[in-house]
Amino acid sequence: MANKYIDTLTAGLWKRVPPFRLVLGLCPALAVTMSAENGLGMGLATAFVLTLSNGAISALRNVIPGKVRIASYIVIIATLVSIVEILMKAFFFPLSLALGIYIPLIVVNCIVLGRAEGFAAKNPPLLSMIDGFSVGTGYAVSLMLIGSIREIFGAGTWFGMAVFGEAFEPMTFLVSAPGAFVTIGALLALQNLFSRWRGEKFIQG
Amino acid sequence: MSEITRMVVVLSLIAGVCSAALTSANYLLDPYVNKQTDFYVRGPALERLFGKPAEEVLGDKIVVAVENGEVPVFFMKDDETVSRLAVEAVGKGGYGGDIIIMIGVDLLNGTLTGMETVRHSETPGLGARIEEPGFRRQWSGLPVDQPLAITADGGVIDAISGASATSRAAVNGTNDVLDFVAEKKDEIIKQIAEL
Repeated sequence: MANKYIDTLTAGLWKRVPPFRLVLGLCPALAVTMSAENGLGMGLATAFVLTLSNGAISALRNVIPGKVRIASYIVIIATLVSIVEILMKAFFFPLSLALGIYIPLIVVNCIVLGRAEGFAAKNPPLLSMIDGFSVGTGYAVSLMLIGSIREIFGAGTWFGMAVFGEAFEPMTFLVSAPGAFVTIGALLALQNLFSRWRGEKFIQG
Repeated sequence: MSEITRMVVVLSLIAGVCSAALTSANYLLDPYVNKQTDFYVRGPALERLFGKPAEEVLGDKIVVAVENGEVPVFFMKDDETVSRLAVEAVGKGGYGGDIIIMIGVDLLNGTLTGMETVRHSETPGLGARIEEPGFRRQWSGLPVDQPLAITADGGVIDAISGASATSRAAVNGTNDVLDFVAEKKDEIIKQIAEL
């Protein structure tokens, strides 16, 4: 029994890490990772929504009729996202300005609905919340990684602190949109190489 | 219970609980949002309207009671006479609900000093362009004794393309401020003098 929980908890860190292994949630991963701080903020917001929505949906999984399940899931997810949005405006105003439209768009993030449909609808609440937490943490770490790479090489800073000396010429290209595609592409290629070297299967639930 | 009824009942229940949760979150957190808005939005807006640092002007605030609520008014003094006001107004009829704007009024010259947005939920890329200086700049220097209108209605304000509703809401809010200042000017000055 205990094994199942630990398996679920650690799965999000490698086996189910969203942007690289599941290749889900790429839109925010491309759009808001100009800096490590934005990436982490977006990732944490998604993780929060994912944990609570998985818990709520899993608790209601036997009550919600199959035919209207997607509609019910979306209502629950949308509520949680709106609450996150209000919380951010109340306590992290500058972050909410920087993330802008991408916070409300968590509603249509494939990861949240994907985990709801793929995991929470079949498993008990506690296990689903652990899954949401672990996948969400994996997402936050990945976004922070992408954001860090782009910020360090694109602006020469990390969380706003200067990393290199005066002589460093930042590659501004990395902070703009094409840089996001190149960074994520390169990280995906690395992930693929590593998985192949370990002899893992590519698609895992 | 038939399947259809069950679906309707469950979905309505979920929607009801969710609305209740949202309403209470909105209600409980509103003071915090307001505080942050004061600091990050109203402050910079006042800085631009008054040309002074935000800390100096945020405290100079009175609240004037009107028939349907209260209007926050910020003021600036020049040698003991009140020279400029910044009046917050609700622009009715925006595309995503009401728009909260702040209008700067120069009492000495009888002109507007500018328009600033405080809060809105307009469409990004269309109505949200109400925040851009290019649109807001049109307000500065307009006389206070004439009501504003967008060019399509025979006025002087160039509407944002694709966002006439937003532009009209901003103009309506401004006209409310003009009426309010014309009507209550003496009362405002009296209230400031009593501080």
